[in-house]
Amino acid sequence: MLSQTVVKRLKEIVGEKNVVTDKVGLLTYGYDGTLLSGEALGVVSPQTTEQVVEIVKLMNEHNIKLVPRGAGTNESGGTIPSEESVVISFTKMTKIHEIDTENFVAVVEPGVINFDLQVELEKKKFYFPPDPSSFKASTIGGNVGECSGGPKCFKYGVTRDYILGLEVVLPNGKVIQTGGRNFQSEPGYDLTRIIVGAEGTLGLVTKVFVRIIPIPRAKKTMLAIYDKVEDASQTVADIVAAGIIPTTLELMDNLLINTTEDFTHAGIPRDAGAVLIIEVDGYPEDMDGQVKTIGDIAKTIAKEFKVAQSAVEVDQIWTSRRSAFGSVARVRPSYGVNDITVPRSNFPKAIGGVLKVAKDFDVTIGVVAHAGDGNLHPLILFDQRNKEETETVHAAEQALCMMALDLEGTISGEHGIGLVKKKYLDKEFTPAAMEAFRKIKRSFDPTNRFNPGKVIDL
Amino acid sequence: MSNVNISKLKGIVGDANVIDSLSEMAKYLKGQGKPVVVVLPGNTSEVSSIVKLANEQNVKLAVGGAVVNTQGITGGIAMVMSRMNQILEMDHLNLVAVVEPGVLHKEFLLKVAEAGLNFPPEPYEVETSSVGGCFAIGDSDSKSFEYGPTRTFLLGFEMVLPTGEILDIGNKCIKNVSGLDFIHFAVGSQGTFGIFTKLLVKLLPAPEAKKAVIGTFASMHKANATFNNLIKRNVLPTRMNLINASLAKNAKPGTEGQLVIIDLQGFKESGKNIANEVAAVLTLGGGSDVKIIEDEVEYDQVINGWLKVRAYLNAKPEQTVEFAVGPMKMPQALAQLEALTGDLGAYPGVIVEGLLGFVGLALPEGTDKLALARKVNKLAMSLGGNVKGLLGHKLKAEVYNDAEMWKQTTSLLSELRQQFDPKGILNPGVSLEA
Repeated sequence: MLSQTVVKRLKEIVGEKNVVTDKVGLLTYGYDGTLLSGEALGVVSPQTTEQVVEIVKLMNEHNIKLVPRGAGTNESGGTIPSEESVVISFTKMTKIHEIDTENFVAVVEPGVINFDLQVELEKKKFYFPPDPSSFKASTIGGNVGECSGGPKCFKYGVTRDYILGLEVVLPNGKVIQTGGRNFQSEPGYDLTRIIVGAEGTLGLVTKVFVRIIPIPRAKKTMLAIYDKVEDASQTVADIVAAGIIPTTLELMDNLLINTTEDFTHAGIPRDAGAVLIIEVDGYPEDMDGQVKTIGDIAKTIAKEFKVAQSAVEVDQIWTSRRSAFGSVARVRPSYGVNDITVPRSNFPKAIGGVLKVAKDFDVTIGVVAHAGDGNLHPLILFDQRNKEETETVHAAEQALCMMALDLEGTISGEHGIGLVKKKYLDKEFTPAAMEAFRKIKRSFDPTNRFNPGKVIDL
Repeated sequence: MSNVNISKLKGIVGDANVIDSLSEMAKYLKGQGKPVVVVLPGNTSEVSSIVKLANEQNVKLAVGGAVVNTQGITGGIAMVMSRMNQILEMDHLNLVAVVEPGVLHKEFLLKVAEAGLNFPPEPYEVETSSVGGCFAIGDSDSKSFEYGPTRTFLLGFEMVLPTGEILDIGNKCIKNVSGLDFIHFAVGSQGTFGIFTKLLVKLLPAPEAKKAVIGTFASMHKANATFNNLIKRNVLPTRMNLINASLAKNAKPGTEGQLVIIDLQGFKESGKNIANEVAAVLTLGGGSDVKIIEDEVEYDQVINGWLKVRAYLNAKPEQTVEFAVGPMKMPQALAQLEALTGDLGAYPGVIVEGLLGFVGLALPEGTDKLALARKVNKLAMSLGGNVKGLLGHKLKAEVYNDAEMWKQTTSLLSELRQQFDPKGILNPGVSLEA
């Protein structure tokens, strides 16, 4: 529990209504997108960088740890107050300071919701490419923390590729600025890059300079339906070999086709082994050529291939994919989501590996994947209330991670490590790499006060 | 007297790969420092042994691809990576190359092109730059708007740490957020976190078509105005560069006036239309000799001309001031700059990377660099930018009158360096204090 003195000081810093200490209030900040939970000592919501600095200093005086939080949609346990700590919530720092389309930069506070920024940008025919599926709720600060991905990464990369600079409050309460409004401003080391994806373990981000780009002039959306998942992977490999970089190569397997059909009635055959959503963007005059190349490739092996002819048809195609995670809830009440990633050439083997894990552990697994990136989301369906089943699921998740590593991949392509995958981290990284992480953490936060226990232990 | 144990070095890499005669050493060295030996390791374990030896004997060591900067290593060891020059793998399925650090950048570009692929980062120096050096410097360049800065192209590496330990990190996945992002953090650390001994390089498919549009202009301002026009029309080429009259001749012999080079990498169909649009904008904007270049040989000549000019500036950091502002702030920046430099066309060197809003200045002999940088930084800051890199950061803090921020930044940087290199062995000439 927080002492009255600390609570009083916090209220002085951020205002009465921006401090939560009651049991019910705290409960809501104890969860994120995972099945984990914790309980914070208190929740404080600053509105300015100066307040963040004051909070950090106060916490240091009283030796209290801090867990940063945006919307809490992450899939890593990164915002769970797992150790005795105060949650610092950035949802009140929601200003878009500036959108400068002429110079391709926007300056935002960390609590700005990704979607809200996109809406503002769209008015000016611009966008911010990182769009994790949680983008309607998740914050830019959270995207920075986890280095979020999304369906467009094959062409456009992940969050780190769109962060030009940051304002950061360090664990000692000092403020630094990393990078700036352009590519060329890093001070010696690329501090921006190490803070992006560090899940708040190195510093608290209070301002973000994001790179924005014009919405492509043209886009084409295609759907290919296959008998087998392997056939879909073949199309992916052939498209890349043809020198085309689609924005999106989204795959869903038979299980997901059926659960989404229950929900959307999009008309995808229920006996199909896989569907692939393919999207290309660019100049209008290049679209026909690319669509033809992709069509020729897909048709050699797909049972059906179609090109969306209207915005409505594009929406129809995407509705299935967007409802994939939600749709499985009709089958079982809980699901565990994973973001293992393998080199593209090992994608078919990874699909095989998922099937094997499902069989070995006798669990139901559906697969959604960003196939161009080799990034899979195996969804393990179960009932969290059944303790035994839950343990089996955890064992299956571990097996999936090990499978990805055996295929020279990574345990996290876009969700981050947080608490959920921390235990597997030393399977992916050698002792020297683990020690490099600790050296970095020690340089920023020698007393381990910022988001303790996430990613690595000191 | 130096502590370097030459015979132990010979034991590690063989007699032939240890050079300690001054005359033979010269071709591997640049700068004022006086190392006592040049050593050329052939593999990772030799690199590791050399670094361990340096630690044991408390000897400074600096590393280079083909040529080593000797600053700070008087009495120490210069390590040249040119024997580790193999492309170990060209993986078409995953669009990844596995290369040794000593592979020359220009040779790598050739091999990548032969494979029908694309490695966008520009060589820092046309002839001698290595792939290892490319990532150790980790710059952005005039193609970064389209392709991303250099770090974008590193997926993993093997590195010998300043203590001699070998660190292996990364994989062929193009999407990877596992652990802290040491992979990209190491890019640009100029060999202070360690020595790259193997690199996993991300590649792209080669563009379907390449074209260039060139033209010459009577003034820098007129030339730059066409860039703003293109951006307003949402025409965003691969490169949109401008070289002032003094340097333009080096890029393209016989050029009179300021040279504009627009590089268009992409698809055939759109490429044709954009090239015509660009040519029209350049002509309407007052350009002479505007020309669309489709011939491959001529295209390469034009681009190489640009690279040569870029390398010329890169070669003399002490006589160069570089800054960036937003691309559309460039007209104001150039106008204000002219008040400091006089006629931009006649200045020893001015280059503009239009898409990045970047300006590089080659200073006249005898210029007080810091004094000029201070003025340029004020100018840039008033337009939302700043002088590049560490120096810019320092000058920015100066303008904010925020000594604390600068102190915090440098103490964080030196703490990081100290964590990795407790004895201060590796590349001591690299300063993190500007």
